[in-house]
Amino acid sequence: MRRPPLAVILVGLFVIALGETAGAVMSQLRPQISGSAEARIAANPQRHGLAGSAEYDTEVIARAVYSAEAGLSFFHTHAQGLGPLVIFASTVAATVVPWRRARGALHTLLALGGLFPLGYLVYSVAVLERGRDAGIGIVERYVLTPLGSAVIVGLVALAAFIAAERRRGRAA
Amino acid sequence: MTAPGSDAWRRPPLPSLLAAILLIACAEVGGAAMVKFKLELTRWARSVILARPATHGLVGVRDVDEQVIDEAIVKFDAGLRLFHLHAEGMGLVIIATTMTAATLVRSDGVRRAVIVLLSAGGAGYPVGYLLWSALIPYYGVEPAKTIAERLIWIPFGGATIIAAWWLTVLVAMRLVRRS
Repeated sequence: MRRPPLAVILVGLFVIALGETAGAVMSQLRPQISGSAEARIAANPQRHGLAGSAEYDTEVIARAVYSAEAGLSFFHTHAQGLGPLVIFASTVAATVVPWRRARGALHTLLALGGLFPLGYLVYSVAVLERGRDAGIGIVERYVLTPLGSAVIVGLVALAAFIAAERRRGRAA
Repeated sequence: MTAPGSDAWRRPPLPSLLAAILLIACAEVGGAAMVKFKLELTRWARSVILARPATHGLVGVRDVDEQVIDEAIVKFDAGLRLFHLHAEGMGLVIIATTMTAATLVRSDGVRRAVIVLLSAGGAGYPVGYLLWSALIPYYGVEPAKTIAERLIWIPFGGATIIAAWWLTVLVAMRLVRRS
């Protein structure tokens, strides 16, 4: 099997290392993370729709903190999955796709898509800074969808190139 | 290790591959066992919890105790699910990272150290979730977590994190030197 360009391997490794570190940080610093999340929500009361009523606000804050923590958790799990995926799928592209430009395009798409888990880090921050629903909406639209689409398009295109190469091999 | 060409992957050492494959196999078996024996596992956890009322803070009032037991069983189940999830992921992480280290790290000593840390850390870390689950009925949620952290998560997880960053820096340096 041929190895993909170093830059693509580096993206995969970087995402794996970040994901593992995030898991440890989440486990060891959970109270501090919750505390700073609550502080950021309190600093943006209008964006979170806080009304000044303790009972109502407590529920809103709890939901926002839960979403921010879920973002960190998704980051950890997606990084663990997508890091190896970038390395393995780009290895298949480097080995099977004979056309240089096509290979380059696939490696670019897979490396970009490999950054998808970082979207969940942005998700956590956006929930706290922009409000829960608005933050999630912005990140889904401008970060998660483009990066997720890159990896989907890359994998579908890789499958198409494998099929094309197989047909070419048979014809030859 | 094989070295067919400069742009080819080198195979990681067989013990690393074996650890990764066994881990993935354990994850799959764990997932299947969780579904197949869900009722038996829950019954076992419940009976052990009921046999240790002081450990779990059970007071003998059904309404209060049921809530405590439910919470412990949810965490017990979560530990098993997290083992399944992490073992599946870490198996692939071991293969991807040790293959990268075997191919791209030039110094024999550094390569060996990175591969050992990645293999041992990656294979050991998910077992912490099994240990956590198994200890919850005996010691309670938080004490069980502390034991799993000290015995497994911190040493094995720490090894994986150190090795993953070490390898990332080495590959980044190689990329910078090349460009």
